[in-house]
Amino acid sequence: MNGRTISRSQLAALVDDLVGSGVGVVAPVRAPDGRLDYRPVARLEEAVLDGGLPRLSLKSLFLPPTEPLFSFRKSGPDVAIDSVPTTFPPRLVLGAVPCDAAGVAALDKVMGWDYRDELWFGRREATTIVSVACGKGDASCFCGATGNGPAGTRGADLLLLPLDDGFAVEVVTPKGEALLSAHAGRFGEPPNEADVARRRAGLLEGRVEPVGSLAPVTAWLGGHFDDPVWDGIALRCHGCGACASVCPTCHCFDIVDEPEGVTRGTRRRNWDTCQTARFTLHASGHNPRSVQDARYRQRVLHKFSIYPERFGELLCTGCGRCSRACPGGMDLPDVLGAIAARAAAPAGGAA
Amino acid sequence: MNATLDKTSFEPRLTAFVCNWCTYTGADLAGTSRLQMDANVRIVRLPCTGRIDPLFIVKAFERGADGVIVSGCHPADCHYTSGNYHARRRFAFFKELIEFLGLPEGRITFSWVSASEGQKWREVVNDATARVRALGPFSGYPGTELPAWPAAGAPAPNPAPGGGGER
Amino acid sequence: MKELRDLATKLLAEGTVNVVLGWEEGPRGVRPAFATDAAAAGRLVFDPRCTQNLVPYLSPRRTQVKKLGKAAVVVKGCDARAVAGLVRETQLAREDVVVIGVRCGGVIADPASPEPLSPATVADRCPGCNSREPKLADHTVGELPAAPPGESRRDVRIADLEARTADERWAFWQDELGRCVRCHACREACPMCFCERCVADKTQPQWVDSSPHPRGAFAWNVTRALHLAGRCVDCGECERACPVDIPLGLLNLKLARVASERFGYTATDDPAVPSPVGSFQKDDAQEFIL
Ligand code: SF4
Ligand code: SF4
Ligand code: SF4
Ligand code: SF4
Ligand code: SF4
Repeated sequence: MNGRTISRSQLAALVDDLVGSGVGVVAPVRAPDGRLDYRPVARLEEAVLDGGLPRLSLKSLFLPPTEPLFSFRKSGPDVAIDSVPTTFPPRLVLGAVPCDAAGVAALDKVMGWDYRDELWFGRREATTIVSVACGKGDASCFCGATGNGPAGTRGADLLLLPLDDGFAVEVVTPKGEALLSAHAGRFGEPPNEADVARRRAGLLEGRVEPVGSLAPVTAWLGGHFDDPVWDGIALRCHGCGACASVCPTCHCFDIVDEPEGVTRGTRRRNWDTCQTARFTLHASGHNPRSVQDARYRQRVLHKFSIYPERFGELLCTGCGRCSRACPGGMDLPDVLGAIAARAAAPAGGAA
Repeated sequence: MNATLDKTSFEPRLTAFVCNWCTYTGADLAGTSRLQMDANVRIVRLPCTGRIDPLFIVKAFERGADGVIVSGCHPADCHYTSGNYHARRRFAFFKELIEFLGLPEGRITFSWVSASEGQKWREVVNDATARVRALGPFSGYPGTELPAWPAAGAPAPNPAPGGGGER
Repeated sequence: MKELRDLATKLLAEGTVNVVLGWEEGPRGVRPAFATDAAAAGRLVFDPRCTQNLVPYLSPRRTQVKKLGKAAVVVKGCDARAVAGLVRETQLAREDVVVIGVRCGGVIADPASPEPLSPATVADRCPGCNSREPKLADHTVGELPAAPPGESRRDVRIADLEARTADERWAFWQDELGRCVRCHACREACPMCFCERCVADKTQPQWVDSSPHPRGAFAWNVTRALHLAGRCVDCGECERACPVDIPLGLLNLKLARVASERFGYTATDDPAVPSPVGSFQKDDAQEFIL
């Protein structure tokens, strides 16, 4: 580990330093109902590190549920456009869950593909992500199968691994290195390698991942758009989109112009999801994804076939939020297991 | 013009949703009778109180109203026989819901004003305006405030070709 | 359980129905099941984890479920009120569905929880429930268990909110609704939200801004609560579906109280009782109208 250590008290002091110098610190915070939300904090005590998954994923800090793209107003005979800033004040996320940080990294691909999304990357550049290795996995987690794991570093600038007092600090990116050297005095000696290795392994102890390797699933999906495996797959799905709302990688949005009086308005982008019937509804009334099976298939295909084909990685980090949030009892590992079984069956192999 | 209008103090904006047959005619009577009343109310005329969707009221607040008046025919007087009875149930639910959500009592005024009650309309308007004035401006949506309505009497900053202002 | 499975198997075997909507063991607790054969009927369960209301699947919009053929649905008392709601509002013909009632002793709030039914885990709607044996049923199975444990937390929360000032209530709800992402999961999971086209989806005119900013979140939640006023059957699905845990049940219950106090209506599984919206009394209270 190319790392250092930091004690709890020094971490608290680091937060004070950062907040004092005008850096916005965001961390999982316990809401009155007991759930966690990523919220700004003023002191370390407000943050809950390694408390499990916050309600909404980290993506909401980079692609908010709603955001203005620009405002427009009538100005004499013309229309004036007021743009929104695309640079942001510096921000540090402390206590990102590794599968959340990985989601943000996965989304960099699509956000910077044919068009560079200025708002996304404006926030990305202004933000340093400090993940904390996760010891709170449950039976719905499958971050191992997606190649991330509870101490995954993808998307993180620094990874903290809990020790008895404080954390081992792994430097992942130059941005993380910069944070460390700017506050070098707060960090201690490198940790005991053997201890770190033992703790790392401990995170996986007793974890039974609900799905095995996803490689066969990904390989099979491409040629099986019309396979019978999809028939009735989503009977219990309400098409409610809760899964996409909590997902760290779902990134579909809708663009709306909202009038704010007769002579002005704002263009905004708002989260949207392929799970609702309206998503693909044409003005003619025709709906190419006319049933929930087809919509759910889109969800699976986008995450495990389309995205990997185009960008070389899964659009899923295995956080399990969708299964936990689903009111209809749809369970993604269960569905992936069914697909894997189908792919392994002799008849399933043929395209 | 209203003698009490003081441009330096807060002048609330009220939107009134009224039915065509009773209250609108009553308000008209108040006007033709040259009754003096607060000039803070913009009237939207609808066929019947039964046509007044609570969303109209929500929309009025979204677009900068500080208070709302809803008014129509007295029970048994509805031009369409039962529109006001249905509306009465709907507004009972709405009023209790919106107060539970924290909108102070007094921002919304419900009344029955008949075509002959020009005098009552004046009282409804003056009382509602006084209540809303005491409550202050409605600023319930932090972070998404809309531009203020132009001050009464002042020209709108960006007049639309038809002469319409920000509203 | 055997009684339920035998009945489902019999209904399928004799061709009375083509599918039985019930609950089965899933990877995360119990989940909705669509049993079309004896094997699946033999896997049906009913226990205190069966919190899901299955009646939304009978909505005319669920074309895939409809294609399975004539359905039987397993209902708890609260769910039976949803069947009655659909029948009352002509979305479902009573003879088009076979209703299997289960006698109920309360359910836990989270069907995936391994915890037993207790005052801490019980769903908010259950303590004090007076409809644990559905009346609107063609068949009723099981023994009546003991009454649900615990006390209603909602009553306390509503009383607490009502004791606060309007500004405090506004702040409370702005904070709660501030999490709303306008996914409309609350709508999709609701048995009584069956509109082909929701007013919130309409754009000309757009009465409800689609954005989840304070205006849009407020307008949507006022709309949803109000459109369910006097129609909500208190099955809890909306709040359970909400991915950000907004306490929608408080709004529903508040309006249910208005329905009962003002109009003498309580949600019932008797489809013949008229809903308090769409009906009126000439002497309805009108103390709030000048
Ligand atoms: S799965 Fe659906 S909602 Fe998620 S990113 Fe893909 S298309 Fe969008
Ligand atoms: S899978 Fe579940 S959460 Fe996703 S749309 Fe369907 S019912 Fe909703
Ligand atoms: S509300 Fe009543 S019928 Fe419904 S689950 Fe609870 S106890 Fe059972
Ligand atoms: S509003 Fe909620 S509690 Fe009421 S019927 Fe609909 S889903 Fe059930
Ligand atoms: S389910 Fe919750 S987050 Fe989604 S629209 Fe309803 S209240 Fe908002």
